Amino acid sequence: MSVSQFLEGLPSYNENNFSKFHVDSNSRSSLKRPSVYVPTREYPSEQIIVTEKTSILLKYMQQHWDKKVSSSVKKRDLTTDEEPSRKRPRSEYPS
Amino acid sequence: MAHHYVVTAHKPTAVTACVTGNFTSPTDLNLIVAKNTRLEIYLVTPEGLRPIKEVGLYGKVAVMKLFRPQHERKDLLFIVTMRYNAMILECINDGENIEIITKAHGNVADRIGKPSDTGILAVIDPKARVIGLRLYDGLFKIIPLDKDNSELKASNIKMEELQVHDIEFLHGCANPTLILIYQDVNGRHVKTHEISVREKEFKALTIVKVPWKQDNVETEASIIIPVPSPLGGAIIIGQETILYYDGITSVVVAPPVIKQSTIICYAKVDPGGLRYLLGDMAGHLFMLFLETEPRGEGSEVVKDIKVEMLGEIVTPECITYLDNGVLFIGSRIGDSQLIKLNTKADEFGSYVTVMESFTNLAPILDMCVVDLERQGQGQLVTCSGAFKEGSLRIIRNGIGIQEHASIDLPGIKGMWALQVASGGRLDNTLVLAFVGQTRVLSLNGEEVEETDIAGFAADLQTFYCGNVAHEQIVQVTSVSARLISSQSRTLLAEWKPPTEKTISVVACNSSQIVVSTGSALYYIEIHPNELILKGNTTLDVEIACLDVSPLGEDGSPSDLVAVGLWTDISARILRLPDLTEVTKEMLGGEIIPRSVLMTCFEGQNYLLCALGDGSMFYFLLNKETGALTDKKKVTLGTQPTVLRTFRSLSTTNVFACSDRPTVIYSSNHKLVFSNVNMKEVNHMCSLNAEAYPDSLALATDNSVTIGTIDEIQKLHIRTVPLQESPKRIAYQETSQTFGVIASRVDIQDSTGLNPARQSASTTTQSVTVSSSVGSLAVGKSSGSGGAGGAGAMGGGSLAPDYGQEVEVHSLLIIDQHTFEVLHAHQLMQQEYAMSLISCQLGTDSNTYFIVGTAVVNPEEPEPKQGRLLVFHWNDNKLCQVSEKEIKGACYSLAEFNGKLLASINSTARLFEWTTEKELRLECSHFNNIISLFLKTKGDFILIGDLMRSMTLLQYKTMEGSFEEIARDYNPNWMTAVEILDDDVFLGAENCYNLFVCQKDSAAATDEERSQMQEVGQFHVGDMVNVFRHGSLVMQNLGETSTPTRGCVLFGTVGGAIGLVTQIPQTFYDFLLELQNKLSTVIKSVGKIEHNFWRAFHTDIKTEPSEGFIDGDLIESFLDLSQEKMKEVADSCQLTVEHLVKMIEDLTRIH
Repeated sequence: MSVSQFLEGLPSYNENNFSKFHVDSNSRSSLKRPSVYVPTREYPSEQIIVTEKTSILLKYMQQHWDKKVSSSVKKRDLTTDEEPSRKRPRSEYPS
Repeated sequence: MAHHYVVTAHKPTAVTACVTGNFTSPTDLNLIVAKNTRLEIYLVTPEGLRPIKEVGLYGKVAVMKLFRPQHERKDLLFIVTMRYNAMILECINDGENIEIITKAHGNVADRIGKPSDTGILAVIDPKARVIGLRLYDGLFKIIPLDKDNSELKASNIKMEELQVHDIEFLHGCANPTLILIYQDVNGRHVKTHEISVREKEFKALTIVKVPWKQDNVETEASIIIPVPSPLGGAIIIGQETILYYDGITSVVVAPPVIKQSTIICYAKVDPGGLRYLLGDMAGHLFMLFLETEPRGEGSEVVKDIKVEMLGEIVTPECITYLDNGVLFIGSRIGDSQLIKLNTKADEFGSYVTVMESFTNLAPILDMCVVDLERQGQGQLVTCSGAFKEGSLRIIRNGIGIQEHASIDLPGIKGMWALQVASGGRLDNTLVLAFVGQTRVLSLNGEEVEETDIAGFAADLQTFYCGNVAHEQIVQVTSVSARLISSQSRTLLAEWKPPTEKTISVVACNSSQIVVSTGSALYYIEIHPNELILKGNTTLDVEIACLDVSPLGEDGSPSDLVAVGLWTDISARILRLPDLTEVTKEMLGGEIIPRSVLMTCFEGQNYLLCALGDGSMFYFLLNKETGALTDKKKVTLGTQPTVLRTFRSLSTTNVFACSDRPTVIYSSNHKLVFSNVNMKEVNHMCSLNAEAYPDSLALATDNSVTIGTIDEIQKLHIRTVPLQESPKRIAYQETSQTFGVIASRVDIQDSTGLNPARQSASTTTQSVTVSSSVGSLAVGKSSGSGGAGGAGAMGGGSLAPDYGQEVEVHSLLIIDQHTFEVLHAHQLMQQEYAMSLISCQLGTDSNTYFIVGTAVVNPEEPEPKQGRLLVFHWNDNKLCQVSEKEIKGACYSLAEFNGKLLASINSTARLFEWTTEKELRLECSHFNNIISLFLKTKGDFILIGDLMRSMTLLQYKTMEGSFEEIARDYNPNWMTAVEILDDDVFLGAENCYNLFVCQKDSAAATDEERSQMQEVGQFHVGDMVNVFRHGSLVMQNLGETSTPTRGCVLFGTVGGAIGLVTQIPQTFYDFLLELQNKLSTVIKSVGKIEHNFWRAFHTDIKTEPSEGFIDGDLIESFLDLSQEKMKEVADSCQLTVEHLVKMIEDLTRIH
């Protein structure tokens, strides 16, 4: 397969694009710059990207804690109907 | 306190990323180019790329990607900045204006984590379900693109692979699936991870069942190309091999063409993903083609990979396919290109045609400010680009002429545009005067042909010609003034001087003519069909130039004539019609006036009087009394100057034709003189023709050019390609040359070291080589590799390995006028030139180029030896006058009170120049890690250290020693230093910040005196490589309303040129208030706060910006709408006009 065949049928989204391009022999080097966009209207951002602050180690331990707690609660649920364990997150005790 | 104004004079030009897609509307095909902190949005059109908008960000773009959320009709832009600000931008286009909306934004930095050596990687799932970010080693951040949530929660997951070289999302997977190249102790491997967004954990490795470590033998694999559906899988690009793998099929090829260099970027061509373009570091463009075969059930599998070289392009950073075989190649070190792929090769076997190239100054390694024309206006010559893109760029401020047509016609003595029987108000004829004849050109559309006007005297040189009242034309020759009908073209009347003397000088307006024959002066009025003599007089000396331009706006006749005279060198104002003298102004000197002009700028009348030596006087002219006041003088060129008025955008401008054409206009009631980017203009006239509206016709020695003129002055850049990397530049006025240090790459082959390609140092006529290594005993150098040092020239040492690339350094001598390389002096093998200056030493009257070098040994942590080489360029010969061996690398050189100051490794050393023309060490200073930069002022020396900021030394003449005066104890890693004044020092460090240190000589204790105070800090957002005192605009031209003092220019890695100037406290306070107001009025794209962006930020600290005004923000005031300007002006208790003028004045310092 030759290079020419490689280069045949290159994608065309609009066949007119670049059709009227003419090489300006004087200024092949282009210095034209677009006008500068100076936004003065405030558009509220639809979404805020928030980064999770917890480190992955804490997250990992949290997950394991949750699993452990839920499984131990289940176990206890099966065996006893007594008061909840002393070892529970404090958040469950509204002060 | 020190207060400074910092502003960008030339925006960064290095392209760091480019993308193509439908951004401004679902049907627009856009190219978006990222240049450091700026985005440029282009539209692909039949005529080529059309610039749409430039968008500034408060951050340096690290990654830019276009993506299309499902069910969207256009693409969104995702950007992460170097300081981890992420944003999703959408473009809203209402036909005329576009708005960039920040759809989502936030900072994705973590408080802990080691930033990855391979930089920020960001990938977006092909179905736009998640964005993945690899910012820190061992962590992968996922942003699920949840449409309905007001918060996009970015969360980290653990990634076992620490050294990730590239990462992508695979196509055609049920869940977002990552593919990555990573490195461990065994080599590089490819792995895939499926992400379950809900659980935010990597699930099982579903695709790669086969152990990749076996397949992956390529230790330099660095790029993943995910292949779109239905094929799927990915292409892995290595140094020598290309691998396709989709979990089942594996195809590996090792095309010889890719081995020469390293592939660094790619672009997908077909949406189906069969063809890709690859670009390598050497600037080769390849096409990669996936050959497929049917596998049954209508699906295809990859059978083979073909790679072909298409041709040479600029060294690419990024490539993107636009349309119809046209590509954009973004480059960081050369001029980015728009190129077309052809199906047929040209005579050189290339399938590539460059359609357009985009000037890029990056990276600016060094620069010098020179005033080659001695006009008081500096030009900047930069060492730009690297490798084959290495070049010198000559940057000059001025007004540009856009050339539209040019006719070869030598010997033009005068030129006027006419309307002949045109009926309308458009010019259709150009009259050209030559010695002994006059030619008439008719402009018919774009066609130009020679014609005749019956009433004209064509066999005489025309002195003046123009349309006048009552549809008539006046032609004045040496014999007579002729009045011609502009309709019938016939002669209506003729006036001849009574004494048969020849006419020498003439001036005319639409109803009046003044003519002189030697010292006699005649005043003629133009009436229908007749010329009437209304007055005459004889002056005491001969008349050199005349003007009768009316000063009123309404076209009423002039009451005054301006006259410039021979012999007594005076300018006089005479009153019409009786030609009585009202004012006589002696100009002084011996140069006669050659052109006078009365003109009105901004309601103020002026008399301009240009002399034969290119200088010009200007006065305020009182129209009623004819009095001349406020005499000022300016130098415009070196040759006789001709002044002509023209109108542009309904304001009056004056064009000064000379060897340095200049446009004179007024702003804020001050005259502004702006260079024009043409070499020489002898005559000019305004031309408003059908095909050339609002144009100028400009005559040079050999041709007429028709063009339009820029509204504003800007920087014009000329390129001198060197094709090798320029490192340092120094200007030597006495020899009218530049010295440039450049390095090229040679490759060891069977015949020895040979240049990889032709470049400035190999193609020049005259080459010398440092072969004397006698004094430099290479063997002394420690380490086993020591013998490999500079020895190749001295003999008996190891040659580099076969195929190894070796840097070869040369000193180039370049002519300042032609920029031709006159001579190249090649240094020894492994000897790197580090520094260069041009200076005089001691009582020696010669001016020398001095080069500081280092012998670089890969085994040594820092160079242990080097040389100081003193060269004299004289009579087109380069002669090495002296050589001094030093114990280290000479990073910087400076002339210091007739002695040579050198920073060598950790030291600063002063050398005397003896009468035997030898360098002798006088004293040293040791208290640095690596002294990289030196600047001197009087007895003071400023040293910039690798990591210990700046130190100020004083040279004690009596003791002949250095004393450390003060030091900045902050740990700044320096990239450039400069002395602003005796107490204030400017530094740039490697986290893209500027800071100012002040020494406090009046402090009470020694300890306080020895500490420099950091009084200013500012994040400039680009690495500053060089500071130079100087200015790009004409200096000392009258008064200015902006009290700026001094000017230091800086050049950056991104190709930007900026300047820092000192301002007084009151002005600083005012600008700070304005800046704060503007930072709320001008919204930030990406919603990054202005004070966050400009805060001094390094790895170890972030502190608010202080002591600096952000000139870029201040000057963007001029781009605001009238309404917003008013809002800002009101808050500063100023009128809009006042504020506009003040900021326009500020823009004029660059």
